[in-house]
Amino acid sequence: MVSLDARRIGQLENRDTLEAKLGALREGDMIKAQVRRFSPGEQPYYETFEVPYQKWMRVLDVLIYISEELDSDLSYRWYCGSKMCGTCALRVNGREILACWAAAEPEMTIEPLRNLPVIRDLTVDRRPYEKRFLELEPWIHRDEPYPGFPEPLTHREMRFTSKALDCISCAACYSACPVVGLGDLTRFCGPAPLVQLGQAALDPRDSRERSQELIEQASIFSCVSCYRCEEVCPASIPIVSKVIEPLKALAYRTARKKPRHPQTFLGIIRRRGRIDPSELVLRVQGLRALARLRWAVSLLIRRKVNPWATVFGRPIPGIASVRRLFRTFLRTS
Amino acid sequence: MRELRAEALVIGGGAAGTYAALCLHRQGVAPLVISKGLVGKSGASIFAGNLVISGRVLGNTEENARDTAEFLIKYHNQFLIDQEYAKRCGQWIAEVYYPELEEAGLYLRRDDAGNVVTSPGRLRSVAANVQGNSGVPFMDLRRKQLIRAGIPMLEEVVVTALLQAESGEVCGVLALDIASGEIFCVRAKAVVLATGYADRLHRRSTGTREMSADGIALGWRAGAELVNLEMQWWHTNDVRYPANWQRMQVYPNPMLGSWKSARNVNAKGEVFFDQQEDDPLAFGPYTVQLKRLVKQVREGKARYDGDYYSGFDHVDPAEVDAYTTYAKLFKQLGLDVGRDLVETAVSAHYRQGGLLVDPATMASTVPGLFVAGGVGGHSNGLIALVTYDGKVAADSVAQHVRDRPYASLPPHKAEEEAKRLQGLLKPGATPPVRVKKMIRELMWNDMGVEKNEAGMRRALEGLQEIRAAVLPAMGVTNLTKIMNHGWLDAIDAVNMVEACELMVHSALNRTESRGPFIRTDYPEMDNESWLAQNILVPTADGGFRFEKRPYATPYFQPEFVRKDNLAVQW
Amino acid sequence: MKLAYYPGCSAQSTCKELNVSTQLVASKLGLELHEYRSATCTGSREIRAVQPELFLALNTRILAMAERDGLPLMTICNTCTLNFLDVIQMLAEDKEALARVNASLAEEGLRYEGRAVVKHFLWVLLEDIGEERLRGMVKRPLAGLDVGAFYGCHITRPPGHYGFFDSRNNQALEKLNAILGARSIDYSGRTECCGFHTAAHEEAVAIKLVGKHLKNARDNGVAAIVTPCPLCHTVLDAYQPDMERDTQTRLGLPIIHLPQLVGLALGLTPEELQMDKHVVPLDLATRRKVIPIAAA
Ligand SMILES: Cc1cc2nc3c(=O)[nH]c(=O)nc-3n(C[C@H](O)[C@H](O)[C@H](O)COP(=O)(O)OP(=O)(O)OC[C@H]3O[C@@H](n4cnc5c(N)ncnc54)[C@H](O)[C@@H]3O)c2cc1C
Ligand code: SF4
Ligand code: SF4
Ligand code: FES
Repeated sequence: MVSLDARRIGQLENRDTLEAKLGALREGDMIKAQVRRFSPGEQPYYETFEVPYQKWMRVLDVLIYISEELDSDLSYRWYCGSKMCGTCALRVNGREILACWAAAEPEMTIEPLRNLPVIRDLTVDRRPYEKRFLELEPWIHRDEPYPGFPEPLTHREMRFTSKALDCISCAACYSACPVVGLGDLTRFCGPAPLVQLGQAALDPRDSRERSQELIEQASIFSCVSCYRCEEVCPASIPIVSKVIEPLKALAYRTARKKPRHPQTFLGIIRRRGRIDPSELVLRVQGLRALARLRWAVSLLIRRKVNPWATVFGRPIPGIASVRRLFRTFLRTS
Repeated sequence: MRELRAEALVIGGGAAGTYAALCLHRQGVAPLVISKGLVGKSGASIFAGNLVISGRVLGNTEENARDTAEFLIKYHNQFLIDQEYAKRCGQWIAEVYYPELEEAGLYLRRDDAGNVVTSPGRLRSVAANVQGNSGVPFMDLRRKQLIRAGIPMLEEVVVTALLQAESGEVCGVLALDIASGEIFCVRAKAVVLATGYADRLHRRSTGTREMSADGIALGWRAGAELVNLEMQWWHTNDVRYPANWQRMQVYPNPMLGSWKSARNVNAKGEVFFDQQEDDPLAFGPYTVQLKRLVKQVREGKARYDGDYYSGFDHVDPAEVDAYTTYAKLFKQLGLDVGRDLVETAVSAHYRQGGLLVDPATMASTVPGLFVAGGVGGHSNGLIALVTYDGKVAADSVAQHVRDRPYASLPPHKAEEEAKRLQGLLKPGATPPVRVKKMIRELMWNDMGVEKNEAGMRRALEGLQEIRAAVLPAMGVTNLTKIMNHGWLDAIDAVNMVEACELMVHSALNRTESRGPFIRTDYPEMDNESWLAQNILVPTADGGFRFEKRPYATPYFQPEFVRKDNLAVQW
Repeated sequence: MKLAYYPGCSAQSTCKELNVSTQLVASKLGLELHEYRSATCTGSREIRAVQPELFLALNTRILAMAERDGLPLMTICNTCTLNFLDVIQMLAEDKEALARVNASLAEEGLRYEGRAVVKHFLWVLLEDIGEERLRGMVKRPLAGLDVGAFYGCHITRPPGHYGFFDSRNNQALEKLNAILGARSIDYSGRTECCGFHTAAHEEAVAIKLVGKHLKNARDNGVAAIVTPCPLCHTVLDAYQPDMERDTQTRLGLPIIHLPQLVGLALGLTPEELQMDKHVVPLDLATRRKVIPIAAA
């Protein structure tokens, strides 16, 4: 009966559907492409090119047209032209896309990926990104000798790995991730490195102990779960739910010293059924939270935090069923 | 000029080059890999959609194994292959290749019960993770194996010349680092040339961006003999638009877990090709499909540049989606080949010909120069075959470098080559990218699917005109040395002209039609005269002569001596 | 209209005012809310990640209650909403998991069949109350109020649930603002992440992530921010003093819960809506624009 889908308001108005995007251009229409130009030692600037639209034109075809017909000097990277090499990722109108995959749009501001040094124009230096994931040894380590071809393995066991293996290492998500964008504030390695690591760590054949790698080196619990990465992934990998979360589970399961945050969280729910964020903060941060006294006091005044409830709060009604679910479904090893 | 050293230098970061490097490393020889593109992200290897099973593995019967060999020799190589080499390859693939890849972590797609999923039929194949994308995890694995082994890789570095000692032996190369503009040389005891096929010489072509027949040009300048350069293969199923479309293919090969495959429909709506139904042995059905298309074109029901259609409109979309990427390829463009037919056209596919090698050693005719993969003229590669080449080349190189001192690089030659490169970084009338485009147009028009002497002569004249008038006036618009694609294009254009001329000469010399090599003036396949290597031999005066050497046919023989090529089933 | 109501943990602890204002506004709108007091936390991001089976079980239990009562389940938190949506999808794809959970739920007489419907309050407003009726109920149009929307993440991403190619194109809050008579101001943070989910252990991330956007909002003339999520609210409001220090700007941006904004337009006072519970108070100018006309 509902005619309006409130989840998607703005989608039609902003021509955010594939049909609208594809319908926006007709053969011979002029595409306006504003391209960010940069050479070392010079100031970056934007240059506008007009490109005649051709049927089924992609962003890559626009760039090829520019370099063949308008300015042969434009630097941009691509190899395969068919979503396999993962080297043509760019930002169009502020969003990461794969040039050989995304359809051209009437007006495009084309910029290089973020979070990576730009070599020239649209070409970035991929090495810092690769270095991040190579440190994580994203290949399987076998304790047991290989049993011979074909080894016992089911797709069900490989369901997460298989998704991670769709990754073409284009670094679009790495550019989109806001936490990576914060630089050294965290040690978070970013989504693509986690996907690379997931290719090995989520593979049942991998016997390497990964919790240290995941928690310390990759700082996986610094992911804020914003789904920016999933939004831009040209390989449609459910990065958060099928890679990062299974990796978090793996880290949690195998770590000898459990990461404090999820552990505390679980403890509170088991006891009360419901979370009290102030208790969570207190327990996770310990004395560190009290050091921010002024803040704590200001929250107290507005009754944002309620120490009484935190200490004496009672469990929800029906807590017995909750504890039963814990007994049945909590995975301990 | 900086001079690096490597016991063995591997040029190319595809399946052949990376495996050669790994094998060398295992044998204690220190390799250095130089690759024009990113290792594992450039070259044809990432395109491998499925992996053919050979021998008796994964439930293959004796008959399946024989069919695979027959396919390889007949359909895939048109008998222009050393059958003993093919046999060795097949054995190695069954015994070593698959187990080794799986042990290293490659995921050959299973079902939920744990069976490796294969395509049914007379020839069977598997996929790494998902069909259509097998080359991606495959090459990613190779890249990581090299990194893990600590094998040094110089990426986005183009080798522009092989350097030879007084004796003629190859003892190093000159290279340009594309990102920094540095020109440097590498001294090596042996060089493995693994630059892949001579792709991207036509307006529409498969292959990655950086392909420009470098290997052929480099080898030729070093005095290597070339073979069967005219044997160009075609993709019949590539999406038509835009004209410069970069290989968006509607895969015609058998699908994993399904008896169906993509079909072709002409402008009149008549189905003219459906692999599993029409010829189950034509596994990678390039030639069979192409021949059917030629007939459609001659009857006015299709054109090589469009007006016919491909897709899976006759297949349950769930079947296409189960194990393949096929239906997803064009989603962003609103095209659904898993449901509809899309307009398709022909692209130049890989080239069978290349450097003449001894397939037992992968040695070229130039001392110190070994070959692996698509750049060799010994077979029409598959990712498994080129991997085998890498192993054979590594074995020979390990022998070759043992106790051999480094030969000294002739200094003037390196300087000369560096000067030549610097000379290309100059302003000029025609941007190099435009010159490449001119060459591709010319090749498309006169070296397309159907050829004849007049057209080929025109192509030669055109190329000579480009060489004489266009190349000297070619110039870049920016003199920077940093990531200057214009400069790289200029280097490429010179190689392309050279290689294309040689191809046209070779094509003129093969006076028959054979499989995808279709001459209207010589429509018959001629097994009496041309079941033979068509060899280009460089001569002392800078020219060339032809030599012809017949192939032995110990295991499979063509059923006829002469026959209209289009009437030949394979 | 009767709805099952799932307030979630924040609205019952740090953001009590959200629960209060939701209930107030719902009754004004004629919505009858049936609250599940025995409902647990949905597991936020933590249980979801590290104990996926338990996550599934806890949420199925809540969905089963709504299904039993034949009511759409109304949420007022982005993360809870997404958790429910994900669980619904996971159960649809994995019948074995559903059977396992049902076997356990049987002990409290619950069983889930896959029919639950989950609706964030924002969607209820736009879909079920509808533009026309809502407009008709507005007593105090928020004319002159320049509102910046802060969607947060889980009400607009992942694309698998919401279908946006670019989630910046979501306009639901802007549409609501217009109905309420307020003016929507564009700024850089509309669909950005608030950083809540790591704030308990890395609050610096949240402060950095959001501070620059609030500054941009201020620069663009935003007078108040509306958000459909208590987690975003907690960060934007409670950490705002830290963001001011970090960006070295005076922000002073009141952060308004979605039902509070609706409530103001329906003629409720900021006090009734417990807006004094916020860390950043309503400044005088804003207050003048939102208090009921009679009182002004
Ligand atoms: C579209 C397509 C689909 C295919 N599908 C299949 C399939 O389904 N199954 C299958 O088995 N096979 C398939 N093949 C064939 C298979 O991919 C090739 O046989 C194989 O990949 C060739 O590998 P290679 O290492 O010889 O060359 P490539 O993979 O092409 O590698 C060549 C390398 O050399 C580098 N290079 C080039 N010039 C220079 C230079 N001047 N200096 C330095 N480096 C240089 C390149 O950058 C690249 O890294 C397909 C091929 C194509 C083109
Ligand atoms: S969900 Fe995590 S990894 Fe993905 S973009 Fe957000 S913070 Fe980065
Ligand atoms: S996960 Fe997706 S977006 Fe990220 S690198 Fe891989 S393919 Fe690209
Ligand atoms: S060019 Fe290879 S993925 Fe786009």
